[in-house]
Amino acid sequence: MAGELSGAALRPETAVRGASRNATAWLLIAPSCLALVLLFVVPVAYVLLLSVTDPRLSLAHYQRIVTVPVYTRVMVNTFVTSLIVTALCLVIGYPIAYVMARRADWVSTLVLTVVAMSFWTGFLVRTYAWLVILGSKGPVAAAYGALGLGKSPQLLFSTFSSTLGMTHILLPYMVLALYAAMKKIDANHLKAAASLGARPAAAFREVFLPLSLPGVVNGSLLVFVTCLGFFVTPVLLGTPRDMMISQLINQQIEELLAFGFASAVAVVLLIATCAVLAIYNHYAGLDRLWG
Amino acid sequence: MRRRTFLKGFAATATAAFAGPLVVTDRTIAQTRTIYVNTWGGSWTAAEEVAFFKPFTEQTGIRVRTVAPVSYAKLKAQVQSGNYEWDITSITQADLLRAEREGLVEPVDWTVVKKEKLFPDAVYANGLAYCALGTNLAYRRDKFPQGGPKSWADFWDVKKFPGNRAMLNNAVRTVQFALVADGVPVDKVFPLDVDRAFRKLDQIKPHIKVWWTQGNQSQQLLRDGEVDMIVMWNARASELQQQGHPVELVWPGATITTTMWGVAKGASNRKPAWEFLQFAVQPKPQADFANKLYYGPTNPEAFKYISPEVSRQLPTYPENVKVAIKPDTVAEADQTAKIQERFTQWLAS
Repeated sequence: MAGELSGAALRPETAVRGASRNATAWLLIAPSCLALVLLFVVPVAYVLLLSVTDPRLSLAHYQRIVTVPVYTRVMVNTFVTSLIVTALCLVIGYPIAYVMARRADWVSTLVLTVVAMSFWTGFLVRTYAWLVILGSKGPVAAAYGALGLGKSPQLLFSTFSSTLGMTHILLPYMVLALYAAMKKIDANHLKAAASLGARPAAAFREVFLPLSLPGVVNGSLLVFVTCLGFFVTPVLLGTPRDMMISQLINQQIEELLAFGFASAVAVVLLIATCAVLAIYNHYAGLDRLWG
Repeated sequence: MRRRTFLKGFAATATAAFAGPLVVTDRTIAQTRTIYVNTWGGSWTAAEEVAFFKPFTEQTGIRVRTVAPVSYAKLKAQVQSGNYEWDITSITQADLLRAEREGLVEPVDWTVVKKEKLFPDAVYANGLAYCALGTNLAYRRDKFPQGGPKSWADFWDVKKFPGNRAMLNNAVRTVQFALVADGVPVDKVFPLDVDRAFRKLDQIKPHIKVWWTQGNQSQQLLRDGEVDMIVMWNARASELQQQGHPVELVWPGATITTTMWGVAKGASNRKPAWEFLQFAVQPKPQADFANKLYYGPTNPEAFKYISPEVSRQLPTYPENVKVAIKPDTVAEADQTAKIQERFTQWLAS
């Protein structure tokens, strides 16, 4: 601070130019700041306010969330489902991203194309596709019949189909995040490990895996946070018992007109999301999220 | 400050100040005027387009724009905030009554609407009745060669009528079906004995594969054979029949829900809105709508323009009304919120 001041005292013209540049910078970011405040901060503040004032000033809504078993279950279910989906995406996505990053031939191009196509296809379309695939006249049921296994088990409208649908929809996010991190790993590191006597498995475990961890953390965060707010897929593929937080919010507003309670639930979701982001920021730094 | 009111006031002042002697006639105002209607979307809006919106625009020059889907929550939000997305809403009778009690709808503007142009019972809770929707038991004929379920008691009878079932995720309708299944006569369903209904619902819950929320979802379930019997809106089932699917519709114990038009409290285009509503409840537009989509006209005169074969499939056809649950809009509006809350928790537990 002192150094800055003395520097400014020595070269006043620099300080003036610095100040005006500063002002220009503020002016340039002012529109986006204003947009953020108007379109984001104000509505969120309004939701916060509603959650403690509608219909009257109290914390009753929050009390209800933690005391009524159904609501607590929805909260817990949302987190557990998000964790399961994240884990599944990681387990399935890691080998795919590995192939995409490590091979530089038509295989990697093909896999990348498939992942990108899946990424750009509307999630509603992909959800409906599962209705067909798992339906009683779909290929799974037909395969059961063809193999002589009799009637296929009830696949649709279960926790299984809902989890499967969400995993499928979020998988590209995981794969692309992993791919971005893996692509940056210098192949020479693995060659160096091999030259020092590491077998491929050891080289992977000791060198590649630790270097790919930022991708794992980024991908998991993206999938987990998106999954927390998932709505359409569990509605169409799941059961009422698998209700997620967003469904609860929608139901409270659209059917029960309980704006206050819905706001309180939304605030809990917001706090949970912020908490996850804060933990991430502490250990990894939010600025690294997009590589 | 209401944005649209402000803009209109500003425009009027500006016009007065700068336009001076320019004469603005009613006709030129109408040509540039647009009313916004909140409606259900999909085939419903498509039928309205043909039966109501296009002919009205042709006759008056007033354009009609639609916003979907219908949302009571949004109606309340826009009246509270003063930011209007629509002038007119399509709404069920019980919800309109709730809206009227909450002060969310405009009273009928009798300077625009002419009493002699309306049919008896057209006006209710400050709105105009424009069609009626049946929520029925429907089943696949091909799955029941010995004859399918004929009542809610049959729907509940999983031994005599095995098969997959789906119900509409709607508390008030479901409770009524449960009561009829439990032996309550169709004209004694109201006031609703909610405890009795939920006891009956506990029996069927494990057998319900899907609680659907979207109309096309219900069609997909029955069309693809995902379920063998289902609670369904009558026109949706009729659509499947027209496409050649072996679907049967049961009228005894169905609910008949009157759908209303209401004008949002404080909306800026109130006069053209009422003009439109009066137009839309006339026999010819109502018949055009019913011929396109099999929801029943509320104006009895409309049946003159509908063939007997189609009439029989409409919820307001007298024979169908006779066997359906006798509605009580006041009781429904009184009990809806409580039943929905309980139903939501019941479904999720």
